[in-house]
Order: sequence, then structure tokens, then C-alpha cells
Amino acid sequence: MSNVPSDWEVVIGLEVHVQLRTRAKVFASSPWGFGKEPNEQVDPVVLGLPGTLPVVNREAVEKAILFGLVVGAEIPERCAWDRKNYFYPDNPKNYQLTQKDFPVVVGGQVEIELPGASRNVMGEHKFIRIHHAHLEEDVGKLSHAGSGSLVDYNRAGVPLLEIVTEPDLRSSAEAEAFLRSLVAMLTQAGVADCDMEKGQLRCDCNVSVRRRGAEKLGTRTETKNLNSISSVRDTVIYETARQIRELEAGRAITQETRGWNAELARGYVLRDKEDAHDYRYFPDPDIPTLKISRETVARLAKQVPENLYDRQRRYVEKLGLPYTAASVLVNDRALAEWFEAAVAAHPANPSGIANLVANDLLRDLAASAGAAGAFDEAAPAPVSLASCPIKPAQLAGLVKLTDDGVISKQQAKEVFAEMFKTGRDAAAIVDAKGLRQNSDTGELEKIVQEVIADPAVAKSIAEYRAGNEKAINALKGPIMKRTQGKANPVLIDQLLRKFLA
Amino acid sequence: MAEGFDIDHLAKLARLSLTAEEKALYSSQLSQILGHFQALADADLPATIDDARVVDEAALRSDEPGPVLGAAAVTRIAPASRDGQISVPRVVDDES
Repeated sequence: MSNVPSDWEVVIGLEVHVQLRTRAKVFASSPWGFGKEPNEQVDPVVLGLPGTLPVVNREAVEKAILFGLVVGAEIPERCAWDRKNYFYPDNPKNYQLTQKDFPVVVGGQVEIELPGASRNVMGEHKFIRIHHAHLEEDVGKLSHAGSGSLVDYNRAGVPLLEIVTEPDLRSSAEAEAFLRSLVAMLTQAGVADCDMEKGQLRCDCNVSVRRRGAEKLGTRTETKNLNSISSVRDTVIYETARQIRELEAGRAITQETRGWNAELARGYVLRDKEDAHDYRYFPDPDIPTLKISRETVARLAKQVPENLYDRQRRYVEKLGLPYTAASVLVNDRALAEWFEAAVAAHPANPSGIANLVANDLLRDLAASAGAAGAFDEAAPAPVSLASCPIKPAQLAGLVKLTDDGVISKQQAKEVFAEMFKTGRDAAAIVDAKGLRQNSDTGELEKIVQEVIADPAVAKSIAEYRAGNEKAINALKGPIMKRTQGKANPVLIDQLLRKFLA
Repeated sequence: MAEGFDIDHLAKLARLSLTAEEKALYSSQLSQILGHFQALADADLPATIDDARVVDEAALRSDEPGPVLGAAAVTRIAPASRDGQISVPRVVDDES
């Protein structure tokens, strides 16, 4: 994946900006949402008009706290907001309200899973530390036309959680895995939707390189405003190669802000806004320091869903699922809960249920719904289970019929397709189609004995009796044929062994 | 820089073009202001003074969307506009 020479090491830190799932903006009551006409979601507070005062949105604070609890962070007793001063037209007040010294979330860590040697092998797990996360306001959107620029303030004031990692990531693959994991945690907890198409998750990516074994970090560059996981991955690969090339040619790395051109797959130096880093932060006098009660933290802690990798371990270790199925299920909380509801209805065969859910159900759901684009364009889009025609208990019913030998696995596929089409119970479909396998031992015994008596299979019988276990299979085909495929394969096997013993 | 600030740098950050007289005047005034802050910093104050500015969660707003101005009103108060957007001199930091 990456061609980092073995004597070099890359060090990556990410700043992830996530729009929180709220209805109103973070310091104003103006609604926000994607796809509205320009400047239609703006009120006097958003514009910072004289006489207005910001008031913090409770839901935005609680979503930020919930994120902190999801990653096991500390939620300090107090958080406060500061003004970050700069002149730029994306910002109607000439300052952005952010949290510099007293962020709402401090510390925490995100478990990541690296790709395994193949799809059905689990890769290495690591923990990436979070430095802090702070709650700020998003800025407006600029578009450029001819000699001028146009400003749309709909996005200004949208609640934005900036999640800052420690420089713990060591490869493009780790950066990718981290973002996948983070997006899953944010969406599963209902903190954010992370829809890339709507710009709901953007990343700044800090990259430096150093000789392996060196303790001192190299000079880093920051590539800003990456809006997809693939852009982050490509930026890391590009920036690593560029920095190593420069250093090996005896040149120094300049600490600079860069942009990424996804179309041309290359980075570029951003024309430095003069004094862009002299933000003259000071505490915002309009927003008092906020005391966060421990009762609120305890209440929100109850909303933290099971961590996806804890869930994955449980599925593999306790339910005996193959890794492939478990890893698919845990990426989507609704899907995992749907699966668990089915298992509750038929606890004897979680793997059988998992296979149907992870393969057949997902395939048919994806085919029946145009899935929306998430930040991660490579991962399967979340499916809508709300419109799923099959209920968990019904799927459990199908698996039970198969386990009991009433229908074969092949027939189960056919019944599943019919269930997805009609929403009817498996048993009703089996009866209506006359699929019920023949479990009438008396009739089947007769057929088995007739087949055994057929000289055409004498050789196979001799081989079986000589110890070749597999030879018995040659007898099953003719029996199935004579029962039009309705015989219970488990029963056939039992009867054959009985008569040939 | 003797007073702990650079008046030229501050003027540039604030997008102010100052004459030599203004620079002298504001330098002296700013020194006085900073002097006041130094006096505050030197004062013997209780450690919990910040409590005066602390609120609990009752001071938060509920997540209820309220009225908006509308693009027509927003652009009306801007010096220039086009197609419902506010028009400004070209600012770009894209690849050049």
C-alpha cells in the first residue's frame, strides 16, 4: 500500500471536524441542513449583528460529551469558549467561537483494526489516543466567480466538533483505519452522520517523517480540508514520499499549510494568509464558562452503545461467528441489533443467521435501495432496515426450518428470496410451495433400500465398507433424485449408515 | 516592542493604516491598558474568582429551530450581493 523505505518512519496526527447531529445551530436558533438556497439558514446571531448574543445549544454540548464518553475520555467539570480572531469573508463576525484552553472533551482513545492478510483474516488492532475534542462553530462557504467571491452563510454556526489525535498514526493504512473506526463510533452513537457528500466530516492531516529509531519528530506539514478517507490516505502517501525525497536530497522540510487536489492526486502549498496563525485568542465575554454536572455525564453514559470491536469480539468468541460475518455486522449498529434480535428468536445457530444477514439480506437491501454516500466511499453504505420486508424473528424461523432439516440450504435461498419479496413467514412459503422435505422415515427407508440394492452402486458400497467415508455420497444422488429432492439429507445419511453398517 | 507589543504588527492584524501620530497615541494608550491588566494580575485575589462567570446547564438553549432572516434580508444589509449571496473581492487559496 505504501512505499515508505524501511529506514524511515512516518508520523501522522489528524484533526477531524465533524458536524454534530442537531436541528439548530450551536450558538443560535437558526436551523441548518444540507441543500438549502444560499443564506436562507441565517439569523442575526449567526451574522453577529449588533445587540445579539450567542447562547450555547444543549444538544450540541451533549453530543460532544457523548462522543467523549464513547472514546473513554475525561469530561472536565468546566468548559469555556474563546474567540479566534481573523479577517476572512467565510466568517461573518471576524472571529470564530471555539474552545482553546478548556475543551469539552479531554483524552480518550479509539481502537482501530488494520486490514488482515485477506478478507477473512482479522488484522492487527491498535489504540490511537485522542488529545482533546472541542466544540466550535463551522464557517460559511465561499465560491469563486470571476473577479469576485460569493459567500453563503448557511454553514456558518453549524455545530462542529474538532477531534484532535495524538501523533500516534504510523501509516496511511492506520490513518484510514482510524477514520473508519471513528466514523463508525460517531454514527453508531448518533453523534453525527458523517456524510461526505454533504461535507459533514472534514480532516486536517499533519505529516512528518523521521529516520527510524529517531526520537525527535521531524518538521511537519498540515494538509487542510480533506473531505474523504481516500483523500487522507492519498495525502499521507504523497506527503511521506515528498518529504523523504526532500530530506534525502539534503533539503529541509518547511513547516507549511498545504492543500490537496484530489483530481490531480497531488498536494500544493497554500498561499500563506499573512499572519494566519496570529489568532489573538481571548475568552469570549458573551458566553460564560459552562459547568457540566456529573448527573448529565452519567445520564449520557447510558447512551453509549457497545464498542464495535467489543461487539466483534463477542460475536466471534461467544457466538462463534466467522470473522468475515462478524466484521460486516458490527459496522452498522442497526444491522447488528437486527441480527441479535434474530439470534434471540433462534439462539441455536447464530452463524447460520449471520450468514443470511451478512450476505443475502445485505445484498437484497442494497439492491432495493439507492444507498447514500458516506465519508468513506469504499465502505458499504448503511442500509435502511426500517423498510426491510423481513423481520428478525421471521429470518430466525427460516434458519430453524433449515436446521431442523425441514428444507435444505439450497431451498432456504429460494424461500429467503420469496420472504424478501412478500414479507411472509418461511413456514407459510414452504407449505405453499410444497418444499417440505420428506421426513417420512418409512417411505424413505424403502427408497434407500432399493437404491442400495441397485448393482450400479455396488462399487461405492464396497469402497465405503472398506473405510472410504466419502464413497457414501455417491448413493445420496440417486435417493434425492427418486424423492424429487424433497428428502431430508440428514435423514438419508442416517439411514444409509444404518443399512450399510 | 519595549512595552511588550509591536504596534505595526497589531495595526496590520487589525487592518488599520495608522499615521505616525496615531501610532504614538495608540502605543501610549495600549501601554496604559496593559498596565491595568498587569495590576489585575498582581492583585491578591481568591482562586475561585472565575465562579462569577460560571453558569450551569440551565443556561443552555434547547435544540429548537427558530426563525431565519431570509436571503433577501441578509443580502440587503451587505455592501454587495449576487444571486442571494454576499459578494466580496476575490479571495482564493486554491492551487495557483
